[in-house]
Amino acid sequence: MSGESCPAIAVASLYQRNLVTRQTGRAVRDGIERLISDRGEAIAVVDFRDVAVIDFSCADEVVAKLVMGTEGDDSPEGPHFVLIRGVHEHHLDPVEGALRRRGLAVSAERIGGEPVLLGEVEPEAVMAWRMLSDCGRIRSDELARLMGVEPDSCDTLLCELLRRRLVRRSGDSFESLSFSASAAREVSVRGALVEEADSASDRDQAPHAGE
Amino acid sequence: MSRVIEVPEVLDHVGFEALVATLAELPDEQGLRLLFNAKHVRWVSPYGIIGLLAAAQVSRQRTGLSPRIEAPDSREVRSYLERMDFWPAAHRVFDIEAGVARSHGTSDALLEITSIRSHHDVHAVVERVRERSASILENQLHYPKPSVIQFSVMLSEVCQNIIEHADGEGWVCAQTYNYRRRLGRDVLMLAVMDVGVGFEGSLASEHARRFGESWSAATALEAALLFGESRFRDPGRGQGLQAIRKQVAKWDGMLAIRSGDAQIALVPDWDDYPSMQRSLPSFPGAQILIVMPARTEEGR
Repeated sequence: MSGESCPAIAVASLYQRNLVTRQTGRAVRDGIERLISDRGEAIAVVDFRDVAVIDFSCADEVVAKLVMGTEGDDSPEGPHFVLIRGVHEHHLDPVEGALRRRGLAVSAERIGGEPVLLGEVEPEAVMAWRMLSDCGRIRSDELARLMGVEPDSCDTLLCELLRRRLVRRSGDSFESLSFSASAAREVSVRGALVEEADSASDRDQAPHAGE
Repeated sequence: MSRVIEVPEVLDHVGFEALVATLAELPDEQGLRLLFNAKHVRWVSPYGIIGLLAAAQVSRQRTGLSPRIEAPDSREVRSYLERMDFWPAAHRVFDIEAGVARSHGTSDALLEITSIRSHHDVHAVVERVRERSASILENQLHYPKPSVIQFSVMLSEVCQNIIEHADGEGWVCAQTYNYRRRLGRDVLMLAVMDVGVGFEGSLASEHARRFGESWSAATALEAALLFGESRFRDPGRGQGLQAIRKQVAKWDGMLAIRSGDAQIALVPDWDDYPSMQRSLPSFPGAQILIVMPARTEEGR
């Protein structure tokens, strides 16, 4: 297919058992944003596997504000996407709550890998997102056939999902973020984000982001 | 000049109100030396114990002098204060001779009195409680497993309230009790206090104009607790208290927030606490009480 693109994949592993407080959230978000800045089109894969506790304030800073920074982003360096991985049941309330307060949504994967859309999305768009997730990659007209809707309305749904950075475009097709992240040949950058909570001198500073 | 403040025998949320009423009658007089006479105290709750610290802090602000304290005669109360780490915290607000501040022995409290000054303190509290709360919440109160994390989230949000709005130090502590007379069950009491700007002061710049003359501590509490308003225009703010309210209701618990001259409460069927009190004696900051009852057989 023509015009296929390959986004940079930045994996941010959160080795912070307790993701609590706004200050911590801000520091973690800064670290993630640094991982994807200057990388052109990029997917930030945020790994929640080791997060034992996340509160609403921190979820707002880490997830909601990160997503807010990518939605409709038309920066010349290319669009940025967010994919949350390793979502446990106890993450759902704070993350969904934070996203819904702002009318946002994010593509995610449960701890077992099952794709899940968190936050506020129209039911029809959720259906399109799920079918696209099942296929991984599909053209708009093919998805319209599967959904049993007019190609125009399917295209509108996909464009809205794209604007919200819940799917990405690759050539003449659309891809789920899980598919794009898994299909990438290599991870461009890895960041282990740990806030040094014990050090008095680092208050409110950003966490480490190492390649 | 010196004055004696009699600390109520039962120092719970009712006793704290009596203490606040006594303080309200005192003149704002620099150099006035106060003595908190706690000799006759025979019962203290987490709310009462940190209420005593808050009252001392306010006295210090008003008189310019750290008040003194007469320790309780009751051996049980003294032992409890030591186990709850009262004296190290009291050292920062009371004028206490060095020898009086004893270290605690073994404590069965979920959380001893802990000062909250920065987000690092919140991290420490969440970490400490997460380890201890599993046995208390699951075995003693019969809460389901996820409640340990939900409680940690609630604790984090309620402590952050101090950092976000108090503009100063606050305290938190938690302990289980048998609430025999009122409920006939064990309860977990969580108390959080500060003597900062309070809800009215915190929300004023963003909301006071809209409310006009009706703006008060009571309307500020309603705006924050019932409608999720905060001092920021940012819609992402204010969700902490909303989350606490929902979680406490889910656990059939009681939540009361006192600030300024008002108190708002989320009252379950088993309690008869007033849902809103106005024209209370004014006290700075915010004082939060959460009571979580053990689950009954039917509720499990």
